[in-house]
Amino acid sequence: MGKISKEEVKKIAAMTKLHIEDHELESIQKQLEDVLSYAERVEKVAKEIDLPSTKNINHDREDTAIQSDVQKILEQAPQEEDNYFVVPKIVDSE
Amino acid sequence: MKDLAFATIQEIKQDLADKKYTPEDVIEFYIKRFSQVDGKVKSALEVFDKESVLDNFKCHGLLEGIPGLIKDNICQKGRITSCASKILQNYKAPYDATVIERLKEEGALLLGRANMDEFAMGSSTETSAFFKSANPWNLDCVPGGSSGGSAAAVAAGLVPWALGSETGGSVRQPAGLCGIVGLKPTYGSISRFGVVAYASSLDQVGVFTRTVYDNALVYSALAGHDEKDASSLKLEKKDYTQMLDGKLPKGLRVGIVKTAFESEGLDKDVEALTKDAVKTLEEQGAVVHEIELPTLDYAAATYFIISRAEAASNLARFDGVRYGNRAKDITNLDDLYVKSRSQGFGKEVQVRMLVGNYVLSAGYAGKFYQNALKVQRLIRKDFQDAFSNVDVLIMPSQPTPAFEIGKFDDNKLQLDLQDYYTAPVNLAGCCAISVPCGFTNKNMPVGFQLIGPRLSEQLLFKVGHAYQQVTDWHKKHPKL
Repeated sequence: MGKISKEEVKKIAAMTKLHIEDHELESIQKQLEDVLSYAERVEKVAKEIDLPSTKNINHDREDTAIQSDVQKILEQAPQEEDNYFVVPKIVDSE
Repeated sequence: MKDLAFATIQEIKQDLADKKYTPEDVIEFYIKRFSQVDGKVKSALEVFDKESVLDNFKCHGLLEGIPGLIKDNICQKGRITSCASKILQNYKAPYDATVIERLKEEGALLLGRANMDEFAMGSSTETSAFFKSANPWNLDCVPGGSSGGSAAAVAAGLVPWALGSETGGSVRQPAGLCGIVGLKPTYGSISRFGVVAYASSLDQVGVFTRTVYDNALVYSALAGHDEKDASSLKLEKKDYTQMLDGKLPKGLRVGIVKTAFESEGLDKDVEALTKDAVKTLEEQGAVVHEIELPTLDYAAATYFIISRAEAASNLARFDGVRYGNRAKDITNLDDLYVKSRSQGFGKEVQVRMLVGNYVLSAGYAGKFYQNALKVQRLIRKDFQDAFSNVDVLIMPSQPTPAFEIGKFDDNKLQLDLQDYYTAPVNLAGCCAISVPCGFTNKNMPVGFQLIGPRLSEQLLFKVGHAYQQVTDWHKKHPKL
């Protein structure tokens, strides 16, 4: 169909925080286009549907604080210091 | 020590009660069997040592001394939970999932972590970042997926039960391909707290066993309300084995889904064996009706859109900041995200996230996703209408028998069709169980699905158990 440009694919990759090699672009472009054929199929039926929403039921609970071991969570961090997760500097000082 | 390979939970329970051996003997037996057999099947990512299994063992409960394997997207405190992905390969769960808590409370022995498709995305267990698992009936074939490691382990007599998870058929399809029983319970009946999410509006924990009776037993340990999962239903705990008298309910109305048998992707052997199962139930007194499910053909497209969109949203949390693998040589925060995710996720997972974000961003206001949710309503109504005429529905669990490893490497869309008969049930939110119903002429197992309305697990167990009283497919085992 060729409905999705390579630029669009790159935009979606950036949004998904993924790096795509140039040689993969075409194959991913094709797989995104498969979505369009599915979407068109679904859209045709959806147009004629007039049924009430059937969302799954969710139960809320009280938001109560419970004691937990912060250290156990921090142990999983790639880098941590003084009860914080460490990431590269976000704001450039220059 | 008695040979416990292929022993059922029921048998081991009786033997333990008769003091023929101890839970420690049971652990020893199965750990040894893993070391002898799993080199071929490769069902487990890790088998724990005896001492640490015993450390977690409580000497009472419904599953006291009964060993099982856990799909590696379910958190076991202090153990790695990798989702068969490099991005989580060193992640140690800081807490137990509710299902694990309940299994421990009921005395189960948790022997290890089962291989799976990475983040449960696949139908063959080939997308695992670590290794591919084999089908115990033919080691050149896949066990199905995504819960392929769990299914292969039970089929190979490595454990009498295992946990899997389902989004579009990841328990029932591998159960069918491996010749065992696989349950996809009603959405909301088993807690997902501590289970790594794929597509939250569909995800559900499922159970593998070799008999329906055993399945009811494990389900009894798991089902019931959990306030930690917002989607959890207000369901009382009960013993689902109580009603299993080996008989079909009087005048049971069985709906054979005509639409399902008209699909051109259906293998001839699978079709014939499924129809044989219907005949057997008829001989047992069931009244068979032909049922149309006109929306069946739209389920695959609907499932594709909903699952990818929700996956993209769920998997955004893996960013290399708080847990999981972080890439080296990073220059800034964006670089950290992009490199950690690109190096950590396998290709199939990456593509599903890209597709998902495309689904959510194309058009306006998530039009694709909203349309798919609309069609989902229609599918739900279709099932509801069917259940006003019959008590259970029958469809194949799988379009084909197990296929060779690598067969669909160049045709992923074809692989997606493995969900054809299972995903509609996830979209409808009802429950279904896959039960073995024979073998193809190449001696590969086939399963059929009994599908019931929401919260009709008791009925499915009753029908499946009655069927297993007059058939012996579940008593045949692969030679390994």
